Amino acid sequence: MTATDPTETETSGSCNRDGAPAHTQELPENPVVVIEASRRLIPLHLPDLWAYRELLYFLMWRDIKVRYKQTVLGALWAILQPLVTMIIFAYFFGILAKLPTEGIPYPVFFYTGLTLWTFFSNAVISGANSLVGNSNLITKVYFPRLIIPSAAIGAGLVDFGIASLLLVGLLAYYHFPVTWSYLLLAPLLVLTTMFSLGIGIWLSALNVRYRDVRYALPFLIQIWMFVSPIIYPSSLVPHEWRWMMILNPLTGIIEGYRACLFNHPLQWPALGYSTAVTILIFLFACYWFRKMERNFAEFI
Amino acid sequence: MKPIIKVEGLSKQFRINPSEAPSVRYDTLRESLVQAVRSPFKRFRQNGRTRDDMIWAIRDVSFEVMPGEVMGIIGPNGAGKSTLLKILSRIIEPTNGRAELYGRVASLLEVGTGFHPDLTGRENVFLNGAVLGMKRREIEDKFDEIVAFAGVEKFLDTPVKHYSSGMYVRLAFAVGAHLNPEILIVDEVLAVGDAAFQKKCLGKIDDVTRSGRTVLFVTHGLAMITHLCEHALLLIDGQVGKIGPAAEVVAYYNEM
Repeated sequence: MTATDPTETETSGSCNRDGAPAHTQELPENPVVVIEASRRLIPLHLPDLWAYRELLYFLMWRDIKVRYKQTVLGALWAILQPLVTMIIFAYFFGILAKLPTEGIPYPVFFYTGLTLWTFFSNAVISGANSLVGNSNLITKVYFPRLIIPSAAIGAGLVDFGIASLLLVGLLAYYHFPVTWSYLLLAPLLVLTTMFSLGIGIWLSALNVRYRDVRYALPFLIQIWMFVSPIIYPSSLVPHEWRWMMILNPLTGIIEGYRACLFNHPLQWPALGYSTAVTILIFLFACYWFRKMERNFAEFI
Repeated sequence: MKPIIKVEGLSKQFRINPSEAPSVRYDTLRESLVQAVRSPFKRFRQNGRTRDDMIWAIRDVSFEVMPGEVMGIIGPNGAGKSTLLKILSRIIEPTNGRAELYGRVASLLEVGTGFHPDLTGRENVFLNGAVLGMKRREIEDKFDEIVAFAGVEKFLDTPVKHYSSGMYVRLAFAVGAHLNPEILIVDEVLAVGDAAFQKKCLGKIDDVTRSGRTVLFVTHGLAMITHLCEHALLLIDGQVGKIGPAAEVVAYYNEM
């Protein structure tokens, strides 16, 4: 605020309309905000999202903080979940059922798939419920709503990071060499996050209108796990049915991770397909979300 | 002089009859499907809505607010005051009309939006500040001031679920009171806490209005309107009943 002559402020009282205070000259030429009914084509408004990046950070931070408040083990839970599941799987599917795992020790094989799967399923479930769970924000404050599901999904990345620490330990224990293919892990993680964002953002918007999502989702996620190569390698599926496995974008991603970690040849066609589908789903989800967004406050 | 807020013919229509409307609260996929099968052409015929299910929460509202002006919005319950504020805060979208705002807007429609019971007072100040649109630097700079204003220094690291309700609203109000936008939109959140704190709140609002900021606020306290505002807008059944100097509008409203 530009300094105004104090005497002038005094005489003009609480509303200095006639005093023509200096700040009136600061009014921008064009409106900062224009409010009207939106038209058919809805822009993504990326600058708006960028302006609210700090809120994204704060909401992620809140989700992480709240998740481990009043727990004794805290962030250890992020490791325990996949670890315990891995032990059970390694025993039943590995030692008892003797599932072939392409020569990879059971613990590493299952743990790789499970950390990735835990991230994906938690991200999708918490993303899908995020808008409904934050209805108090939606009905009281403005900000780009995309931030809410994005924060819920982003918070899962921290858990994934913690769980991956144990993976590093397991790889070292089994003497897997560090190779150049590790460099591909970063783009693969971006791809996984983008895929989770796509599904999570889309479901979160759908959940505002159709609460069925909340009930259907845990069930669908469970089925999804069995059709993804988490507890078995996709090479286990008979050759003539392989294409069906690959239709699931997660197949290419998970197999890609394993190929990088264990220095196996990458299945580029499957990975290329996963990338293309991920980008399409992500763009479609953003568009759908923006379209639904304007009615969120009324329907939630 | 150019107005900082320009509202032209703003209208908002709501659906009121849930059983008829194709898309309402808690509708399920099944209901939508049934609806589509039962009357597949309805949405084409009537443009997706039935006429009598709709009400106008506000209709054709136009007004202007000059920079630095404090405008009070009054009216009976259900007159559309909150709807108007929600549209100007960009929470809901208008059906028709247009509003132009020539400055950054912050709205305070409720105290403590986004407060999380499990987080400490300190953490909630940051979270709430971010939710209200403050930058992290801004919050850090004002942190001590906010805490001193709320008077909760001793309990900063206690989760707010253990706060007394008075402490809770004091802290929540304190964050909102330290917002620094060009346009502030406030809905009946003033005067929380005990008598002493209420006095402090009113003093703070006085400061805000004197600082040259443009404020729009809804209240039922007519005395507050005449004390704080130069102008007032009276809404009746979603339409502008009267607009002008606060004392006149309040007198007019009292005679109704």
